[in-house]
Amino acid sequence: MLKYNFIYELKVLLRSRWLQLLCLVLVLLFGFAAFNGQQKIDQRQTVINQAIAEVDASDVTMAALLDSVSQGLPVSVPRWTIPNSPMAVGNYYPRVAAMQPQELAFIATGQSDMYTSYVKPKVSGDDFALNFTEMTSPVQLLFGSFDLAFVIVYLLPLLIIAFSYNILSSEKESGSLRLLVAQPISIRRWMLQKLALRFFWLSLLVIISLVAVLLVLGIDFTTNLTAFFSLLGLTLAYMLFWFVLAFVVNLSVGSSARNAVSMLGLWVVLVLLLPSALNQIGNTAYPIPSRTLMINEMRAKKTEVAERQDQILDNFLRDHPEYAINDTTQARSFYHRYMASQRLIREELAPIVDAFESQLTSQQDLVGKFKWLSPALTTQEALNRLAGTSTTDYEGFRKQVVGFAAEWREHFMPMLYNNQDFSKEDIAALPSFNYREGRSRVGIAVLALLLISIGLHAFGWIYSTSQEKTKGIIAA
Amino acid sequence: MIAKTFRKELKELWRDGRARISFSIIILLLGTAVWVSANRFTNTNKQYEEALTSERTLWDNQGEKNPHSAAHFGTYAFKPKYPLSLIDQGVDKYAGTSIFLEAHNRNEAQFSAAADQTGLARFGELTPDFVLLFMVPLLIILLGYNTFTKEREMGTLTLLKSQGLSSFKWLAGKWLALFIPIFLLTAVVFAVAGVVLSGLEDFGEFSWSSLLLMFLIYTGYYIVFINLVMFISSRVKRSGVSLVISLSVWILACLAAPKAASNIAESEHPYPTRQEFAAMITKDKKEGLDGHNPWSKEAKILEEKVLKEYGVDSLHQLPFNFDAYRMQKGEEFEAEVYFKHYNYLKQQFKEQSNTYRSLAVISPFLPTRFMSMSVAHTDYTTHWDFADAAENYRILTQKFLNDNFAQNSALGEWGYQADASFWKELPAFEYNPPELAEVIDQNRGNSVILFAWLLGSFIILGVSSKRI
Repeated sequence: MLKYNFIYELKVLLRSRWLQLLCLVLVLLFGFAAFNGQQKIDQRQTVINQAIAEVDASDVTMAALLDSVSQGLPVSVPRWTIPNSPMAVGNYYPRVAAMQPQELAFIATGQSDMYTSYVKPKVSGDDFALNFTEMTSPVQLLFGSFDLAFVIVYLLPLLIIAFSYNILSSEKESGSLRLLVAQPISIRRWMLQKLALRFFWLSLLVIISLVAVLLVLGIDFTTNLTAFFSLLGLTLAYMLFWFVLAFVVNLSVGSSARNAVSMLGLWVVLVLLLPSALNQIGNTAYPIPSRTLMINEMRAKKTEVAERQDQILDNFLRDHPEYAINDTTQARSFYHRYMASQRLIREELAPIVDAFESQLTSQQDLVGKFKWLSPALTTQEALNRLAGTSTTDYEGFRKQVVGFAAEWREHFMPMLYNNQDFSKEDIAALPSFNYREGRSRVGIAVLALLLISIGLHAFGWIYSTSQEKTKGIIAA
Repeated sequence: MIAKTFRKELKELWRDGRARISFSIIILLLGTAVWVSANRFTNTNKQYEEALTSERTLWDNQGEKNPHSAAHFGTYAFKPKYPLSLIDQGVDKYAGTSIFLEAHNRNEAQFSAAADQTGLARFGELTPDFVLLFMVPLLIILLGYNTFTKEREMGTLTLLKSQGLSSFKWLAGKWLALFIPIFLLTAVVFAVAGVVLSGLEDFGEFSWSSLLLMFLIYTGYYIVFINLVMFISSRVKRSGVSLVISLSVWILACLAAPKAASNIAESEHPYPTRQEFAAMITKDKKEGLDGHNPWSKEAKILEEKVLKEYGVDSLHQLPFNFDAYRMQKGEEFEAEVYFKHYNYLKQQFKEQSNTYRSLAVISPFLPTRFMSMSVAHTDYTTHWDFADAAENYRILTQKFLNDNFAQNSALGEWGYQADASFWKELPAFEYNPPELAEVIDQNRGNSVILFAWLLGSFIILGVSSKRI
């Protein structure tokens, strides 16, 4: 029977031009989305490379300046930027702390339009002054990006709905259902076969058109095949969920239109409403403290600290006797006082900053717990992780940069307090930043989607059996 | 005949559980959305007031201080929220809320709400504008996808035709049966919003005419959807197909088109990255006068010019502190640099807006979205306006401080301190959003497009209904 069903289904799909249409639609959607994604990645990569090239160039200048200074020659830069002072190097010759795009970054824009992909921490200023947000038009952030994740999470389910909402109901409406029940196959098995075949065809089309689009656009996905297969696995698991949903709806509801309405209702709830409701709950349960009030606290603290700079420096030196001992000149400048005060400000403001982080972490945990309610959310999140553009990734990047900023500062502190000059030999020893990627863990998402699908299928099967006993399939 | 069709259709809708359920869901959603937004709104406003007063207190009580130190200490401009943002939050979530105003630098607005939220924020929020822009059109589709197809499916079409009824009257009846419930729903929502907003205290001026305009915009948007849905229903044979096509139109117009438009706008008129932008400004700044650097070439030129102007031969003979004067000139030069670069940014923004406008041809969602934000003062243009006002205030503040420095101290007197009472003389920052007339003027393009959609959709509906 499966064989007949297979041949019949293929013929129907080809003659109704469904397969051809789907193929075209998929190629267009994937093509546009992948093109957009790749464009963003190329831009991001160019900008990072430029920044790195600039630092390399400025290192050459720095070496030349240091040479001139050591030979007692005049230099043409303002005196406070001459790199023989460690603070000048720390402020005017910063390193690039960049988050290189991952291999599959083109599949999801995620948060990459909102956060910057590189920063250059300096010794002065504080960690809050490091601005991690990107300069993007807020209209773009509001509308979001037409990326592969959007096609997969939002549009594929709609294609599936259009492809499968009337499998059983159309038979009923055209009168062929009676003929069908006379066949030696149960309706449920027949429908399962039919949906499985459609799932098979759609999966095949999705894989082929995706690979074709990537090949045509010249996007390299072969360097990280594991990630690419994770993408395929995730997409198929998500599609399976929607097919199972179609199976259940087809079995339990009546006419074609009613089926379509129910499936679309479910789509709206799972894709649009649940995520936004969850976001709302997260914000209400763990409200983020006010940033404007944080600013004021920060400023009050700074004013207070500025008034007792000398005292702070004394205390700092008392805590760090190594600085007082090694230096014979004991000269104290603006930066000695400034760096000591900054350290104090950082320490005292830590609880305020932590409050933001802990609230955000709590929100994230809440989302983590409830994201399984909506397969759309699960999939989006997993796609973002796979692309390396999720909130978690950027949060990780931010933490690494703050760590690096501290390392950068600490690197110059002994030089500053020992009143040592920065020399050409010190250039090689300057710390550099290396971004460590987080783990994407797509497997769990795929597994969860499969489990949800199996559970849903079992529910549908049991429900329809009980229905059949009471009403019978033709009457239902 | 119109009245009869109207009554029959309404009765049918009412008897259909589907319509009742979806209507109640929408009302529930709107209720929740308004409640949540109102809560957040009062909260934000409270924080805003607090921030404003405590910021000013900090500024006023700086004590004796050098005016330039005060300039580095700086002030903050906080962006106020406006009553109609309760209905449409617009881009507020993505635009920063406070701008740090200091010497030498123009800063961007910082701390957008979205940057402080999880990735979920990008899915959208349960706000009134979400319901009004996305859910209500969906409701229209749900109520109207089968207005004509059901006549075919039930076989009543032949019967109706044999009655010799005028297709216009039939159409009008059906159209009204779809329009009136939606119109009433929207009217009630806006009326409630108006009463709530005018009743709340301290939150800027609320204007009924803005609210009315917004109501008209949404009504126009819904009419376009009603026409499109009825048109589709009149062209296809089965209800299911009609529903699926209507939905595809909805997806295209409300979800896909804005996203595609944002991609196209960005790839055609890209913004520089934050780092690039900063680098460009630093480069330009280096080429001109730096107020802190008396040894540069530009500083020497300025010195000569001023000496000549006052007919004296040493800076000490000038009637003011030349250090402070140079500081002010440096400030003016830097302001010019910023003006130039921000103008470039603004140019990109305008080009992007034009791209959005031209793509509005494929989606009635776009002009509606932009106009609604604009009336609510939550659009990007208002944000720009605010940022510009803050920049002007920054320039004024710098002049105010440098002038005091120049007039009350002698050359080289860096230890000069202004009186503790001096800070209070700085006028407070005030920002007034564009007036309604100005908003309407800005949105001429968008309103023309929405109107064209209205007209076009009526025409195709009229033509197609004759051929049923």
